[in-house]
Amino acid sequence: MDLFEHVGARIRELRTKYAGAGISQEALAKAVGVATNTISRWETATYRPTVEDLDKLARFFGISILEFFPREEEKEDSDIAALLRAARKLDPRDLVELRRYAEFRRVRGLYGGELRGKPGRKRKVP
Amino acid sequence: MRRYPYYQELKALARDVRARHSLTSPRVLRSDMRRIYRGEGIRIDLWQYRLRGLRGAYFNDEFGPTVMVAAGLPSEPMIFTLGHELKHHLVDRDSAGRFCSESNRDDAIEIGAEIFAAELIFPEEDFCRQMAAMGVEQGQCAAETIVRLKHETTTTMSYAALAKRAEYLRFAPEDSLQAVKWTKLAEELYGEPLYKLLIRSRGRRHR
Repeated sequence: MDLFEHVGARIRELRTKYAGAGISQEALAKAVGVATNTISRWETATYRPTVEDLDKLARFFGISILEFFPREEEKEDSDIAALLRAARKLDPRDLVELRRYAEFRRVRGLYGGELRGKPGRKRKVP
Repeated sequence: MRRYPYYQELKALARDVRARHSLTSPRVLRSDMRRIYRGEGIRIDLWQYRLRGLRGAYFNDEFGPTVMVAAGLPSEPMIFTLGHELKHHLVDRDSAGRFCSESNRDDAIEIGAEIFAAELIFPEEDFCRQMAAMGVEQGQCAAETIVRLKHETTTTMSYAALAKRAEYLRFAPEDSLQAVKWTKLAEELYGEPLYKLLIRSRGRRHR
């Protein structure tokens, strides 16, 4: 399974399990401001969601953007952890945004080359 | 850390950045900041989501230097914040990240960033020269003087920052400029800005 099939499968899994009963593609599309068939195409890895799309989906599902990606055995990002510890005095809502930003740029840094803004339709080689 | 020499060094660095990027007036625009950031290889991320006290954050790790700034900030505070974060890149880049909010404003590194940003937009020497050209001497600066200074120089430094500097340089008595309603005073002196007049005239037309 390639990266985008993994991401697509994760979107489908989160959508179908959302609040126990799941949510339709139409409702999710409306919530994140895209066309219904875009959700379908993300789920089948026909289209590639951008980092911004994934951020919107993560906010909708109430999860970290990192959860769309395969869990890597990577070292805890100690610098970011230290920053977030130092930021404890922040308004808790700002702290959430700071963490989201740290994760957003991490995803962009790790997968940004593959997560392009333009949809990349898979074409069958004749 | 001895604060005074540290702050003086930061002012010199800000003047150096101005010279390197051909900033010659106290009117520094967002486009100037974008140009400086591009030159320094820093990516600006305008964060579309609401932030309460957080104005900006600087990160520098294996993904390169980036600055997050609240997209909804008005132009002048955004320019100042970008100046502030630029100092973190130039001076504090060894620490992986910094955030800037009301909660850590008294930290010497943060105060230094404020001093750097102010000097980057409007160098103290130019400020003093302008005061002298307006015939303002020590202790004589009133709120109207600050409004006049901003109007004449078209600086993008905020009224609050100009007032703070006037007090720091003893052009105005301490705390004499803290409770001023700057926009109201500017409108009394120079009339309503064009955008407000346009909004009003449009409102009348639609009635």
